[in-house]
Amino acid sequence: MASIGVQDRIVFQNVSKFYGEVLGINRVNLSIPAGITSLVGPNGSGKTTLLNLMTGLLQPSQGSISVLGISPTEPGQLFRRAGYCSQFDSFPRRLTGYQFIYGFLRIHGFGHPKADELTWQSLRQVKLEEAARRKVAGYSKGMRQRVKLAQAIAHQPDILILDEPLNGLDPLARAEMISLFQQLASSGLHVVISSHILHEVDLISDQVVLLDSGYVVAEGAIRGVRDEVKEHPAQILVRCDRPSQVAARLFQEDHIVEASLHEDQRGLLIRTRDSNRFYACLNRVVLEDQVQIETVAPADEDVESVYQYLIGQNGGAA
Amino acid sequence: MAVYKRKFSPYQGERTPPWSRWLIIPRYAYAKVFASRITTAFFVACFVWPLICAAVIYIRYNVSFLETFGLQLGDFKGVLAINARFFLNFLYIQGFLSFLLTILVGPGLVSADLSHNALPLYLCRPFSRTEYILGKMLVLLILLSAITWAPGLLLIGLQTSLAGLGWLSEHPLVAPALLVGSAIWIVTLSLLSLAISAWVRWKPVAAAALFGVFFILPGMGQIINVTLEVDFGDIFNIIMVFFTIWAWLFQVSFRGDLTLVEAWLALSGFCGLCLLILNRKLQAYEVVS
Repeated sequence: MASIGVQDRIVFQNVSKFYGEVLGINRVNLSIPAGITSLVGPNGSGKTTLLNLMTGLLQPSQGSISVLGISPTEPGQLFRRAGYCSQFDSFPRRLTGYQFIYGFLRIHGFGHPKADELTWQSLRQVKLEEAARRKVAGYSKGMRQRVKLAQAIAHQPDILILDEPLNGLDPLARAEMISLFQQLASSGLHVVISSHILHEVDLISDQVVLLDSGYVVAEGAIRGVRDEVKEHPAQILVRCDRPSQVAARLFQEDHIVEASLHEDQRGLLIRTRDSNRFYACLNRVVLEDQVQIETVAPADEDVESVYQYLIGQNGGAA
Repeated sequence: MAVYKRKFSPYQGERTPPWSRWLIIPRYAYAKVFASRITTAFFVACFVWPLICAAVIYIRYNVSFLETFGLQLGDFKGVLAINARFFLNFLYIQGFLSFLLTILVGPGLVSADLSHNALPLYLCRPFSRTEYILGKMLVLLILLSAITWAPGLLLIGLQTSLAGLGWLSEHPLVAPALLVGSAIWIVTLSLLSLAISAWVRWKPVAAAALFGVFFILPGMGQIINVTLEVDFGDIFNIIMVFFTIWAWLFQVSFRGDLTLVEAWLALSGFCGLCLLILNRKLQAYEVVS
């Protein structure tokens, strides 16, 4: 399992997890590279199961998992390189923010001076230095999420596994957290996030894994995933000076399903079964009719649309 | 896809040995335990009886000195013989006090972590469930040792220093009996309180359940004895089980219905059941299906 190819990836090979007769995830094959990867799916789709399998907190019913070449059955090695942040407010009682992080660093095996240094470093990263001596029980929701993140990054892991880290945060706190994830990913970490907040997932993810009812419905960069959804015509927004003329020309093409003009008469929304042919055709129209194009942008090349196409309407694909 | 360049190198320095990491758990637990004035006051009160015993031993060997003050203590020597029975009585009282201390401290050890879903936080480190349980047990093991065998051995030391080494050779089993008897009592109490704490998850109910195991379960055992006209109901009487074992360890007579084998089997059963509960309840992740 630990070949060169998997030394820098999180790999699931035909992994299934059953809780008695209840399906957690089924026959999952994944290969997750560095960067930010988001797990997206409705409640009960298997996101948390997947994260717990990744961290070795759950054992698979079948299949094998390798996290940067390490099996999750070797927690001693794995947890030196992985940081985990659960979705629950998991705090041993009566601890201050500093004690919370420092204590777990000591359990990690850091001596006092190093643990102290890393504790302050992680608290600085999540901007909780000033609240370090206050009890975690008195923190706001946003501060609790940040201190949870601090304990996950304090031991300088290579992989950061975050279960619903944006839950319950106000927009400002969410923006701060997202910025922190991007900062961590840019320093070379694997950041794996599960989230329901699709438009924010869209902003930060290098790739997504769409889950439904325990099955991986789609995996990869969001544009690639969207291209694979053939049954839903691609939606493309064109802003130009003569939208009705463009619409008339485009309607001559058999792959164009729909073209609707904007109320301001400065744009149109195209639905096409073949976006490559559409772009070629649009180039011709621009050259032949001298149309002034302002913008051309895909309107449904985002996580939310793909989620809607693959999970929202059909209830998932097996 | 973005290309990320690694800009940091993880810590490569020396780490503390794995066996020492579970010692971190008691450190914070004691801070919490002694934050309660009631627990602290009770813990201090647990040393009153050892001090009284020390005074008795001292007086036992200094009667003539006290008589110079006009006190008539002529029969004192005969009434209070310092022997195996004396230290068994010491263990009875300190054992009861350690039970009360366990009710104060034990139920909150695991239940707080479970009710706050904090277990994954411990177990997503290079740290096993066994180490977690050992760390939590250590909290009770140290506290209870401090009020049972530790003062008991000091008393034996005091007695030996006053009576001479001859006393120790006349009572060779007292020190090992006190040590082993206390140890099995402490381990059983710790396991039982952790298991109940893991099962019930609510501190007051866990404390009540621990009380019930010692005082209601024996009643059920008696009901079994009476209704079924048998005598094996006594195996549910954990106090009787310990009295039987302690009496054997100290080599003193004890009138109980349990045989020594039955007592050891019952004790093994109790401890096995506790380990089973801990194994089942202390899971890294709870799945609600």
